[in-house]
Amino acid sequence: MSVIRCFLLLVSSVAVLTGCARKNSAASDSNRRPITIAIAGDIDSFNPLFAEDVTAGEINDLLFPGLVGSSFDTSKGMLIYTPLLARSWEFKAEHCDLLFHLRSGAMWSDGQPVSARDVQFSYELYGDPEVGSVRQGSVSGLRGWQGKPDITRSVEILDDTTVVFHFEMASPSQLFDAGLPILPAHVLAAIPRKELRTHEINRSPVVSGPFRLERWTPLEGVILASNPSSTLPFPARASSLVFRVVPEYRTRVSQLAAGEVDVVADIRPEDAGTVSASAVRLVATPGRDYDFLGWNNIDPALFQKSGGKTVRPHPLFGSAPVRRALTMAIDRASIVKSYLGSYGHEATGGISPLFKWAYNDTLKPLPFDRAGAAALLEQEGWRDSDGDGILEKNGKRFSFSLKVSAGNALRNAVATAVQQQLHDVKVEMTIEQVERGTFWDNLTARRYDAWLAGFSVPLQMKLDDLWGSDLAKYPFNVTGFRNARVDSILAASRRLQNETDGASLWKQFQDILSEEQPCTFLFWIDSITGVSTRVRGTSIGILGTTHEAWNWSLENQARDRLAQAR
Amino acid sequence: MPRPGRSLPAFLLGRTLQAVPLLVGLLTLVFFLSRLLPGDAGTLFLSPTVSPEAAERLRVQFGLDRPVPVQYILWIRALLEGNLGLSFSFNAPVREILARVFPNTIILAIPALFLEMLLAVGLVAVAKRHPGSTIDRLLSRGTLVVYALPTFWLGFILVMVFSYWLGVFPSAYMWSAGSEGSSPVDLVRHLVLPSLTLAIPGAAGLARYLASTVGDVEKEEYVLAGTSMGLTHWTVFRRYILKNSMAPFISFMGTEIGGLLAGALVTETLFAWPGMGRLAVMAIFARDYPLVLGCTLLAGVVVIVGNLMADILQAILDPRVRLE
Repeated sequence: MSVIRCFLLLVSSVAVLTGCARKNSAASDSNRRPITIAIAGDIDSFNPLFAEDVTAGEINDLLFPGLVGSSFDTSKGMLIYTPLLARSWEFKAEHCDLLFHLRSGAMWSDGQPVSARDVQFSYELYGDPEVGSVRQGSVSGLRGWQGKPDITRSVEILDDTTVVFHFEMASPSQLFDAGLPILPAHVLAAIPRKELRTHEINRSPVVSGPFRLERWTPLEGVILASNPSSTLPFPARASSLVFRVVPEYRTRVSQLAAGEVDVVADIRPEDAGTVSASAVRLVATPGRDYDFLGWNNIDPALFQKSGGKTVRPHPLFGSAPVRRALTMAIDRASIVKSYLGSYGHEATGGISPLFKWAYNDTLKPLPFDRAGAAALLEQEGWRDSDGDGILEKNGKRFSFSLKVSAGNALRNAVATAVQQQLHDVKVEMTIEQVERGTFWDNLTARRYDAWLAGFSVPLQMKLDDLWGSDLAKYPFNVTGFRNARVDSILAASRRLQNETDGASLWKQFQDILSEEQPCTFLFWIDSITGVSTRVRGTSIGILGTTHEAWNWSLENQARDRLAQAR
Repeated sequence: MPRPGRSLPAFLLGRTLQAVPLLVGLLTLVFFLSRLLPGDAGTLFLSPTVSPEAAERLRVQFGLDRPVPVQYILWIRALLEGNLGLSFSFNAPVREILARVFPNTIILAIPALFLEMLLAVGLVAVAKRHPGSTIDRLLSRGTLVVYALPTFWLGFILVMVFSYWLGVFPSAYMWSAGSEGSSPVDLVRHLVLPSLTLAIPGAAGLARYLASTVGDVEKEEYVLAGTSMGLTHWTVFRRYILKNSMAPFISFMGTEIGGLLAGALVTETLFAWPGMGRLAVMAIFARDYPLVLGCTLLAGVVVIVGNLMADILQAILDPRVRLE
């Protein structure tokens, strides 16, 4: 038999073998396949102390429940806390102490009971600088002793099922801060704290949540299996959840449309029509993400040269009227209409309309007014004296480079539109795409003059990181905006008992931002998630894609349960 | 090639020692080149939510507070102790990440290597059956075109035809959801397109090389004797021509291991195959220096060992090699 025949026989055998396997299983594939979620990147850690990535955070929430769960009340625009490991709680000592009664019967996956010691130990780890947890900030509100943090005192064990958190002062974030994932003390206490970040226990964790980690392969994905011993709140209804790493956005979308995966988050508005035409429903959540044109309020060269000590206004963007003029020169409404359609909303400030109690709905966006913008610039001394079509002041041309993170098609398109509109008011702007890592590195170091970027606002109304004037402390205040009134609002909001008591403060805050225009707020983007119609019980929304995924089930599983119940 | 009179162990030792400076040079180059990338690993790796005190401790723990040359010396010292460092991206030892990912590349590369050999031998056998014919000319020119094809383009075409149009093979991944690690048939289905993508250009190159060697061998008198004895074309090809063309063929295969690893970079990305190629790309974008170096080290070792094995096999198959 010739080598060619051998080869043809081999190829045809593989095709027949695999083809048969495919045909035999094709009909039942979609029914038998576990719920599959396509994710863009890998999981950085299965330990909540170190998990920074959003998906990793969501997965860790399913493995390590906290004292309280949460849901988002869309009518009020605020977080509502629900019992989880704690069956109830009460505030004491004028809202400085928070007492939790733990539910009995909660077990770790190795059979050990979950106790108050686990709560205290977890917070010890979160607060220990040697551990270096990314959630260390959440323990900063706990009471210290003799000027030093002391978690063994501030998270006090009264008995096995009662624990009390002592805070420095009343604050609206107490329940949020007390809701961090709880870790198994009996497992982690034996590991030197310095080694916790990379210890192998993080790849085979002992958990108490509705799921347990069944398999993790770098670059491939994660499989979570239902944890039969969980009472927090109960073993997951779906036997397993598969998180599959699919780095390419286009591939994720086409696989969702083809029924190869069940859930894909962050679908772009331009693909919404295509995806919803198949057996997929779209869940659009009003966004916490906004895109903005950043104007460096401070002189980056001087700031860098002095090691952050000298702060002077930026030669182009240092004046609020100039920044207002730039905003007025940009037709934000048409940008939203062209690029986002019904999945975006023009932004006026740094608070999402989602947070209804805090959002200033009386505030209107600055108008798109080219003539008004030109007049404002002229008032500020910017004139086209030499007739070259570009404004000048004291010999300096109004010309700058806008930095955009490479690979974001929407931002590149928006940048091009902005370039044309600024040209119409004789402002010269070039666009420079920068590799993503370099872009964020330079941005947080405040090295750029102008940029187009996007930020996400936190669930808790804590905006110090984005707007606090202490530039050394808050690297994400990338515009270098400094305002004493804003600082006092941020400080006052931290001392309130109820978050909603700060509504008027936050409305003032938005007024100030609108007046000062530290940046040009462009739009809020809805978060669009595609979900296969065969998946039931999802509560996808502002709290994440897999929020309360223990309720998820497949269509046929839900039918089976109903039949059993009957 | 070993010098006359040198034993095989001495030859092996010599080649291994030659490989050490090569590997050290490669790692040194990659270490310093990766540090030239814009952006600081510390700021990318350490979350802004970590307190400055904790951030400083972590910088010290990961050695990021030291000057780059000192980091290099510390890394080499750790390497000699078998410690490849810690991956920033996975918060896990690099050794463990490589151990989880490297087998996936082997699973892809070995069938690709066999397919490459099989295709090359098959093509040459067909061409030499009808020397000077249209098929021979077509194969000769066709292999040149195929050899020059970009891997991503070939992979894309294979996906279009076999996955989207015919629906025979899956377009991506190593396993179907729910079959992870449990169904060999499922794995074979997922292997077909990426291994063909890797094998086809290599096979074309190999076929051209083999055809040239076969062309020389078939002029030998013992081949003519075999033909004149009435042996069939295939018997002559298999017994006399192919066997005597194997030594340079094996040498070429040794270098091809490096080609396969390079090709895997694109192929694994295209087919979402969780192997070393994708890992290296991810590590570079994440500025995960320890992981970049770990991938480089492993790839370097594989290429050097591949070449070494090819030399040994060649020496075993053709004793004249050691006498020359």
